[in-house]
Amino acid sequence: MTQDTPQEAVLAIRSLSVVYVGRRSAAQAVTEVDLEVQNNEILGLVGESGCGKTTLAVAMLGLIEPPGKVIGGAVQIRTHDHSTQDILKVKPSLHRQLLWKEIAYIPQGSMSALNPVKRVREQLTDTLIEHGLKKNEALERARWALQVVSLDAAILERYPHELSGGMVQRVAIAGAISMQPPVLVADEPTTALDVVTQRSILQELVSIREKFGSAILLISHDMGVMAQIADRIAVMYAGRIVEIGSIHQVFASPLHPYTKKLINAIPNARGRESGERLIGLGGESPNIWRHPPGCRFHPRCEFAIERCSQQAPVFTSPNGSSGQRVACHLY
Amino acid sequence: MKNEEKPEEKSFRSRLQRYRPLARYLGNRFGVYLFTLWASLSLAFILFRFMPGNPMAMSVTQLQSNAGLIVGADKAAEYYREKMGLNEPLHIQYLKFLKNMIFGPFDFGHSFVKYPTPVNEVIGRYLPWTLGLFTTSVILAWILGTAIGALLGWMRRSRFASWAIVLTTLINITPIYVLAVFLLLGLSYKLGWLPSGRPYDAQMMPSWKWPFIKSVLIHAILPVGTMVLVWSSGWILGMRSLMVSVLGEDYLAYARAKGLSPLTILKEYAFRNALLPQVAGLAIVLGMSLNGAYIIEIIFRIPGLGTLFANAAALRDFNTMMGLLVFSAFTVLTGSLIVDLAMPLFDPRIRRSDA
Repeated sequence: MTQDTPQEAVLAIRSLSVVYVGRRSAAQAVTEVDLEVQNNEILGLVGESGCGKTTLAVAMLGLIEPPGKVIGGAVQIRTHDHSTQDILKVKPSLHRQLLWKEIAYIPQGSMSALNPVKRVREQLTDTLIEHGLKKNEALERARWALQVVSLDAAILERYPHELSGGMVQRVAIAGAISMQPPVLVADEPTTALDVVTQRSILQELVSIREKFGSAILLISHDMGVMAQIADRIAVMYAGRIVEIGSIHQVFASPLHPYTKKLINAIPNARGRESGERLIGLGGESPNIWRHPPGCRFHPRCEFAIERCSQQAPVFTSPNGSSGQRVACHLY
Repeated sequence: MKNEEKPEEKSFRSRLQRYRPLARYLGNRFGVYLFTLWASLSLAFILFRFMPGNPMAMSVTQLQSNAGLIVGADKAAEYYREKMGLNEPLHIQYLKFLKNMIFGPFDFGHSFVKYPTPVNEVIGRYLPWTLGLFTTSVILAWILGTAIGALLGWMRRSRFASWAIVLTTLINITPIYVLAVFLLLGLSYKLGWLPSGRPYDAQMMPSWKWPFIKSVLIHAILPVGTMVLVWSSGWILGMRSLMVSVLGEDYLAYARAKGLSPLTILKEYAFRNALLPQVAGLAIVLGMSLNGAYIIEIIFRIPGLGTLFANAAALRDFNTMMGLLVFSAFTVLTGSLIVDLAMPLFDPRIRRSDA
C-alpha cells in the first residue's frame, strides 16, 4: 500500500500478519494488512464475522495471546511527544504506558466488559493511577470523562450490574478517553445495543472526534453503522483488506465484487415497497485454516477469471489518485 | 433518554430503597437458617424415639432393671424419665425436648455412660482436639490450596503448571487413610523423624505450659500435614479451574487493554473474582470439620469428636450421640449462615438479587 501522507498518520499498521497456531498447521487470521488512520478521522473496518477484524484489533494493541501469534509487521503510533513507537516491539512496561495514553480500546459494551465485583470508580481510576495520576487527580479525571459522555458522576459508585447496556458502553467510552489518547480502537461498540441507544453511542463517538480530534478505528460488521459516521472505510475479507476508500466512494462506486455484494445486502426501506428482495452473499464463508490460492474471494466471485485463482491481487487505484484503492484483478 | 439514564437523587429515602433488597436477602437467609435448624432438631428427636424399640426409653428401662446391681441406677433412671418426660405421651416429650434445646440451651442432660457428667461437658472435652487439628487443617488447606490454585491458573500455559496439576490430581484421588498410613510408616516408624500414635508425649500432663504445647505441636505435624496435603489438592484443582475461566472473561481482556500491570490484573481482576465460590465452599467444609473424621482419628490416635461418636455408638450412649448429631447440624448450618451473611461483602451482585 502506498504511503500518501506518512507524516500525518497517527496510527500506521504495516504489513501485519497474525496466525493462530494449531497442532499441525497455522490459521491465517490476518494477512499483510496495511492501514493508516489520520488525526481527526474515523476509519471504519468492516467485514463478516470471522474475517479477522477483532484479531486485527487485538493484535494492533499488542495483546495477542497464545495460540495467536503475530508473525510479521509493525504497528506504529505517533505519540504525544511526537516520537514514533512500534507497539509490537516496545518493552512490556512501555507497552502498558502506551496503552490508554496513546491508544485506547473501547470494547463491546456488553455487561461482561466490566468487572462485576468492582465499582465503576475503581475500574476507571485504577488505570489512571497506574498511568501516573495521583488518586484525587484520577477521581477528578474519571468524573470529567463521565461528564464528556453525558453520564452523571454518581455512576462512579455503581456496580456494572446496576447499569443499562447503553450506560456500560458509555462508561467504556469514558474510560477510553480519560487519558485523551490520539487513537481510539472501538470494537463493535454498538453491537449489543438497541437501535436508539446505538445511534446515541455513535453520536458520542462523533462528538469525541470533534472535541479531541482523536483518530478512531471503528470495527463493525454493520455497513449501516459505517455509513452513519465513518470518513473512510476499509473492507476486510478472509484476513485481507480488499478495498479502502472514502465512505462516499465506497458506497457510491464500490470496486471490489465483495464490497458490491455487501452493499447490496443492506436492507433498505424502499425495497419493501418496490418488492425488491435482499440479495445475500452466495457461497461458503471462508475457512481460515485453508484459504484458497490467489484471491481469497474468487470461489464466491461471479467475475472470477483464471488469474484470480493463481495470483494474489495487489492494490491499485483505478480511479486515479482519488484515494480509493482495491485489491482485485479486474482493475 | 438522558433522564432515564441519570441515577435517582441521593435522598435518604432512595438510599433506604437501595438497601431493601439486601435487608430482604439477609432476612431470608436467617429465616431459612432457623427453619433448617428446627427441622434437624426434630429429625434428631424422631430418630432416637422411632428407631425400632425406642432406644431412649429402652436404655432407661435397662438402667432401671439394673437398680439392684448398680448403686444409684434407679436414681439415674428417675432423672432421665423426668428430664425427657419418658412417661408422658410423645408430643409432650417433643415439647420437653424443644424446651431443653431452646432454653437449655442445647441441654441433653447427663451422658448415659459417663453419668453424671453432662453430655455437653463430654463433648467439650473432645472438642479442642477436633478444633485444633481438624479445623486448623481445613483452614490451612484452604489458604494453601486457594493460593497455589490461583498461581497455577495464572500460569496455565506453562509446562510446570501442567505437571503440577497432574501431581495434584494424583494426591486428590488418593484416599486420605492410604496416604496417612503411608506417611506414618515412612516418616514415623521407618525414619523416626516424627512421633505418632498419641496426641502428645505420654509422660506429660495437659497444661498451658510451653513444653506441653510444644509436644502437641510436634505430634500434630504428621496428622495436620496429611490432612492439609490431601484437602488442599481439592482446593487447588477447584481454584485453578475457576481462575482459568475468569481469565477468559471479557473484563480480563479489557483489563489487559487498559495497560494494567500483571500484578494488578492478577490481584484485582482474576483472583478477586475467582475467590467467590471458594469462600462459599470453605464455610460448608469448615462446619463439617467439627464432626471430626473417625478414620483419621483412629490412624493418628486423636481423641476427637469422631472417636467420641464411635465410642458412644458402641456403648449405646444415645444421649451423647444425639448431642453430637445436634452439635454437628448446628455447626454446619451456622457455618453456611455466616457465609451467606458475608457473601454480599464479597459479591455486590447479591445485594441486588431477590434470592
